[in-house]
Amino acid sequence: MLASDELLGTSRKDRALAFLNYLYFVAVIGVVSAILITAMVMQYAFGEIPCPLCLLQRVALFGICFGVIANFRSGFSYRNTGLTLLFAVLLLLIAARQTLLDIYPRPGHEYIGTAVLGLHMPVWSVIIAVTIIGAYALKLAVLGGDEELTDIRIEAFPSLGHIARWLGLTVIVLALINTASVAVQCGFAQCHTMGYQLLQ
Amino acid sequence: MMLIVFAAITLALVLDYLGLRRLAIASLSACFVLATVLFVWEVYSPEYGLRMPWLQGALEAIAKGA
Repeated sequence: MLASDELLGTSRKDRALAFLNYLYFVAVIGVVSAILITAMVMQYAFGEIPCPLCLLQRVALFGICFGVIANFRSGFSYRNTGLTLLFAVLLLLIAARQTLLDIYPRPGHEYIGTAVLGLHMPVWSVIIAVTIIGAYALKLAVLGGDEELTDIRIEAFPSLGHIARWLGLTVIVLALINTASVAVQCGFAQCHTMGYQLLQ
Repeated sequence: MMLIVFAAITLALVLDYLGLRRLAIASLSACFVLATVLFVWEVYSPEYGLRMPWLQGALEAIAKGA
């Protein structure tokens, strides 16, 4: 294995770094998918209809996934990383603003939905966005750039590539379900949390 | 508007999956712009604008107390 790697111009260290980077990307999609599935379970099983800002946070989470999935599909590019970070910043802005809207309870403005581990959805979104941005900053500070990823594609790690492919498809299916759900909840009008517009 | 934002992000993911990279990026860009506009529209209040006076009120109360 080592000899063939050296023939291709990649060292064992580069391969290990590439593996860790791809593992990090897979973990990001896995965690984001789990968050989206949890939000959908709360919506469909417990009747917690998402507010407009909650829906926009879901859009930002899908945007974060786009950049990561693109790294798997068309090879690593800093452009994809830029897209992921752009949507992470959007998620942080929306979630921070919603947290500030509801942090001081007054009529019509209190956190909606069930708290998970004592924190509501927008507060969790702030933590998720800060974690994604912070983790990438930490990775750059400790491991440096991602140059090894341009030479070593995810196909070099078949089992990880398999997981990434399935997670990518899962995100697409989740996006399709959410789009259908928004169509039923909002139609082409403004979204409300009172009920599903098309079912009334 | 929300439906269009969701349709745009879903389309971007599907187009990227099909290998249509440029169209996917165009759809993603449209989604980003529309989501940002919708966010500002959602938080804008005819009474307060984009300010958050309930937070400022709390700070004033603290200042008065001090």
